[in-house]
Amino acid sequence: MKVLFLAHTEEDGSLGKAAAEALGAAKGLGGELVIGLFGAEVQKAADSVAGCGAVKFYGVAGPEFATARYGSDAAAAEAIAKAAGAEIIVAPSTSRMSRVAAGVAQRLGAKIDTRLTGLEAVGGKITATRWFYRQRMVGKIERDARPWLVTTDTGCFAPCEAAGSASVEMLTVAPATRSQVVEIIAPAADAQTIRPDAKLLLVAGAGWGKSQADGQKHVDEAARLILGLLSATQASLGSSKSLVDQSGEGAALPFLTHMHQVGQTGSTPRHPKGLATCCHGEEPHVVGWRFVGERRAINLDANCGWAQGKADVLYVADAFAVMSKLVDLLK
Amino acid sequence: MTDVNTSAPAGDELPEGYERQRMDVDVACVGFGPAMGGFLHTLSQGLTNEDGTPVAESKAMPGMPPQVICYERADDLGFGVSGVVTKGRGIRASFPDLDLTQIPLATEVKHEEVLYLLDPVGASRRPVLMRLADKALKIFGMARNHAFKLPYVPGFLRKEPGILLSMGQFNQWAGGQIMAQGQAQIWPGTPVAGPILSGKAVAGVRLQDQGVDKRGVPEAGFMPGMDIHSQLVVVGDGPVGAVGRKLDEQLGLPAGNHAREWAVGMKMVVDLPEGCQLKAGTVLHTLGYPEPEIFGFLYVYPGNVASLGIFVPSWFDNPVRTAYRYLQHWMQHPVLWKHLKGGRMRSWGAKSLQESGKRGEPFLAGDGFARIGEGSGTTNVLTGSGVDEAWTSGVLLGVSVLELLKADQPFTRENIEKTYVRRRQESWLEREAKIAEKARDGFQNGVVQGLIGMALTGLTEGKLFWPGASKKPHERIPSIESYFQGRISAEEIAAIRKDCTAKGLPLHGALMDRAGWPKVEHDGQLLVSHQDALLMGGKVQAPSGYRDHVTFKSHNVCAGCGEKVCIEACSGQAISANPEGGAPLFDREKCVHCGACLWNCSKPSPGGGESSNVDFQAGAGGLHSAEN
Amino acid sequence: MKGLQIVVLGSIVPDPLQTLEPVSGPTGPALKNELMLPAVLDPWAGHALYEAANLAKKVEGKVYLVALGPKAKLQQVMMNVAQKVPFEIVVLDGPASGFADAAETAAALAGGVEKIPGLDKSKLLVFGGWQSASRGTGAVLQMVGELLGITDQFQGVDEIAMAEDGSFTVLERIEGGSYQKSSCQGAPALLGWATGNLPEPPNNPQVGMQNMRLIMPALAKATPAPLKGEGLKYAGVELPSQRRETRVVKNAPVEDIARELADWIRA
Repeated sequence: MKVLFLAHTEEDGSLGKAAAEALGAAKGLGGELVIGLFGAEVQKAADSVAGCGAVKFYGVAGPEFATARYGSDAAAAEAIAKAAGAEIIVAPSTSRMSRVAAGVAQRLGAKIDTRLTGLEAVGGKITATRWFYRQRMVGKIERDARPWLVTTDTGCFAPCEAAGSASVEMLTVAPATRSQVVEIIAPAADAQTIRPDAKLLLVAGAGWGKSQADGQKHVDEAARLILGLLSATQASLGSSKSLVDQSGEGAALPFLTHMHQVGQTGSTPRHPKGLATCCHGEEPHVVGWRFVGERRAINLDANCGWAQGKADVLYVADAFAVMSKLVDLLK
Repeated sequence: MTDVNTSAPAGDELPEGYERQRMDVDVACVGFGPAMGGFLHTLSQGLTNEDGTPVAESKAMPGMPPQVICYERADDLGFGVSGVVTKGRGIRASFPDLDLTQIPLATEVKHEEVLYLLDPVGASRRPVLMRLADKALKIFGMARNHAFKLPYVPGFLRKEPGILLSMGQFNQWAGGQIMAQGQAQIWPGTPVAGPILSGKAVAGVRLQDQGVDKRGVPEAGFMPGMDIHSQLVVVGDGPVGAVGRKLDEQLGLPAGNHAREWAVGMKMVVDLPEGCQLKAGTVLHTLGYPEPEIFGFLYVYPGNVASLGIFVPSWFDNPVRTAYRYLQHWMQHPVLWKHLKGGRMRSWGAKSLQESGKRGEPFLAGDGFARIGEGSGTTNVLTGSGVDEAWTSGVLLGVSVLELLKADQPFTRENIEKTYVRRRQESWLEREAKIAEKARDGFQNGVVQGLIGMALTGLTEGKLFWPGASKKPHERIPSIESYFQGRISAEEIAAIRKDCTAKGLPLHGALMDRAGWPKVEHDGQLLVSHQDALLMGGKVQAPSGYRDHVTFKSHNVCAGCGEKVCIEACSGQAISANPEGGAPLFDREKCVHCGACLWNCSKPSPGGGESSNVDFQAGAGGLHSAEN
Repeated sequence: MKGLQIVVLGSIVPDPLQTLEPVSGPTGPALKNELMLPAVLDPWAGHALYEAANLAKKVEGKVYLVALGPKAKLQQVMMNVAQKVPFEIVVLDGPASGFADAAETAAALAGGVEKIPGLDKSKLLVFGGWQSASRGTGAVLQMVGELLGITDQFQGVDEIAMAEDGSFTVLERIEGGSYQKSSCQGAPALLGWATGNLPEPPNNPQVGMQNMRLIMPALAKATPAPLKGEGLKYAGVELPSQRRETRVVKNAPVEDIARELADWIRA
């Protein structure tokens, strides 16, 4: 069995964390490993994994592959996959790779499954694990058809790092595209509240925007406390749909957008720890928790479905008061 | 604090730059339930000639077939609430080849029982006669699991041969049948604000404004509710529907009629525990517990699923009548709990039932409108049957509308009376409603009198009854102090009231604890907190952009109200105490639109009439469960 | 650019509030009581549809919705959706299950798009959700694009700005709460939408009336689109057992809670 690990390089020419994990997944399958990389340049990335046991390195590089565009990325990936002729292709589910993976599969006549959280080969049979219905149920799937292209979710596989010196066969690709990347618009460093690699996810629920014990809303105070904790801990911020929707009405927290939303119609981020504040809800509201390791919650209701049976610790307390002290302690 | 109604004026004044749009159709229908199902199905079947041409031409859109539109406030056609056991005569007549396997959860009635429940916890407020009966049943060993099974089911209660249905699934199925015929459009998620009246004639309906804040004040994206003009408005929006109630308010009811008897039905659909002995098609009726006034039902669907619940009537004079907690005590009655323990709540919901029956019949027809279904007094209060009756009223109107369309006759009061009202008066619906008319009068005096009265009426086919004069619902409600007199002192009630109000809690929890009701131990599956029932079983939604549909007419009246039954009886805990005093707070995101607040208010409307101080409009959202 | 044809691909999913449980059916996994669960238009497809309608209004374009799903359920959902924005529908009567194969779904949808009368690929924008509340592979759109020969594709789009000449820029979500802004010379192109920025439009009875004249006939002549389900085998689908023993801390001083949390976060 020939396995192709397929990835793009990062802006600085390195291989990203998600890609290193996907390589770990590819390597875990056994079989003959081939590596294919594309980007502005690929040598540095190839060298960073030169010792991983790959029998062959392919690369597509050049300024036209520096940015994430469907036309150029799909063409590069297609060329590499065709040159490698692998039965299994493993790629990371970064935004860049996810944009093209399925299109590439279509070009190759391959089958595709995405965002795998598990991938294993037992007795010649490959079983992939992925989630369905917004992470509400998990399934194990198998396919006989080859090639089979899969993308792996981040945080699910041990990264493979094995520096050395790789000999990369460069392929020439002339992409046809009518699109250009104009710019990357990133939030200012001090306004950054979504941090996929953060150790802690702070989940802010609708309670922050509601009237408190004194009958008044304390939205400014809520904003100060939430931002205070984020700044003190470099945590990532997630929010319930309910609070994001309130923000849309101009009533709640000005820095919240739909990008913060976790759960049913939002994301299911992976973080080692999560702290939920002022969240209330039962399944399916709690899927935002799904991939968070250690979980704690602060809520006024001891029976809260977000916490009971879902969190490791539930503090029945006023989140405003606790967060205020907590921010002081962590400063 | 000013004494104002905070809702926006319902008049025609619109902010500058906005115009209320108008659309013309031939038949505008309000509320999609079984009555409207019967109407639209009948109409759809008859609107086309055998050669495929329409039987009449649209007046609203000349050249087209008649344009028939139905507006339903809920987000889906299947979000109605009711477990249904019915003889299904009308439904079967509409669908001669009815195949129950095509309707999820539907099955034939196989076995019926009536259970008289004794009080296993000693907290039930039972009249002396009932206590004596309980004692006798125990002494003679006739009670098993604290329940006495009636030796036979009286004929007037029996539904066998009959059908068990889920209201939601039946509505969804019926809606699908109708839409597939392509003659009528049914639009869910579209609440109607009220009728467009011109004197006593109805010219159409006005839809609710969108893009407004909770007080009804326009915001970004404001879209004034459209005026839908039509030759005929078919009113099937149920007992708490905005259009039907507005008509009652404006036109009054025929002399001697009044719609004062109500009940809130609260129910669950439950996955029964594995190995449960209850067989599909089983129907259990219960009486006697948790309070003598509260009746219960349990219907077993195929697939080890049950629909079960209780009815809390307006003549149960307890000002802290909470259906939710009573439902939990009822489920835990030993005779039921042995089947239910280990079960899991699939869905949960509540609805108001109009229990006046024939006595609550409004003017069934007027210029430009006709009334069908529960809001038109179809429910048979003797047999406790309403769905098939509602369906049948719709069918009778459907036949009549076709007759008038074909004859190119206008929808005047006279013409609708000559066709629909006449058909209704000649039908089994009316015949049986008349028998039932006074069946429940005895309950005005007490539960024992009521039960005897029902039996008398049932066994003599309406010749005998136990008389009782009805009161407006708000006139019946005693103060909390007088209801609990001799059990809980006024001082203690005052302390409980102060404590609960400060915490924003209703009083019923503390008062029922104090009255000896055991704490409900939550099991996380079937016995869950009221809030979790909303999340797990009700899945309540409230789209933004609509005004609050529950408002309080005079805030001063609320400020002086000692009972606040609206809070106690609220099925979704959507109405809560206002720590600042004045009118209670309303949270749309918890409202299941049961309408219980409307008649569970102990204060008359400042404007007089039959109504109370609570205003209840048609709002968007509510339950999202299609199997209730 | 006038006369754009904006084709939205989208189907129904169980109402997100419902409790979902997998069961094994004769043809593989399915949802328990699937027939009884209320359905809604997939939220991401919904965003795409509203964005499409908004764009169509600006460029005098036309919106089509190509939907693969069980006809009866689609009909129900359309009664709600069709009140919101004007569109024409192409109905493919087949499964909307999250367990169906992405490639087979894509092939059926591409076939549906090809069938649109008067389809002009030089004016074609294909819209859809970059995620879905069912399968959620984020893969179907790309394959449909490839099948239709569209190689300018964007995913996680929150905004499109179209110039007079038909060229446009898009904002795509990328990692870390950032956006990638790209320009494209114009149609044909494919956009997988994130949430966009538009609120859900109000229900408009006139829009409903107008839509329904075309939707009911389209439903009546829905093309059967059974998916073969070949090649994708399920070894099992289950609900995660993730019940945790929750330690409940009640009546503790705020200081103690804060200290415990601080220690935990720092650890």
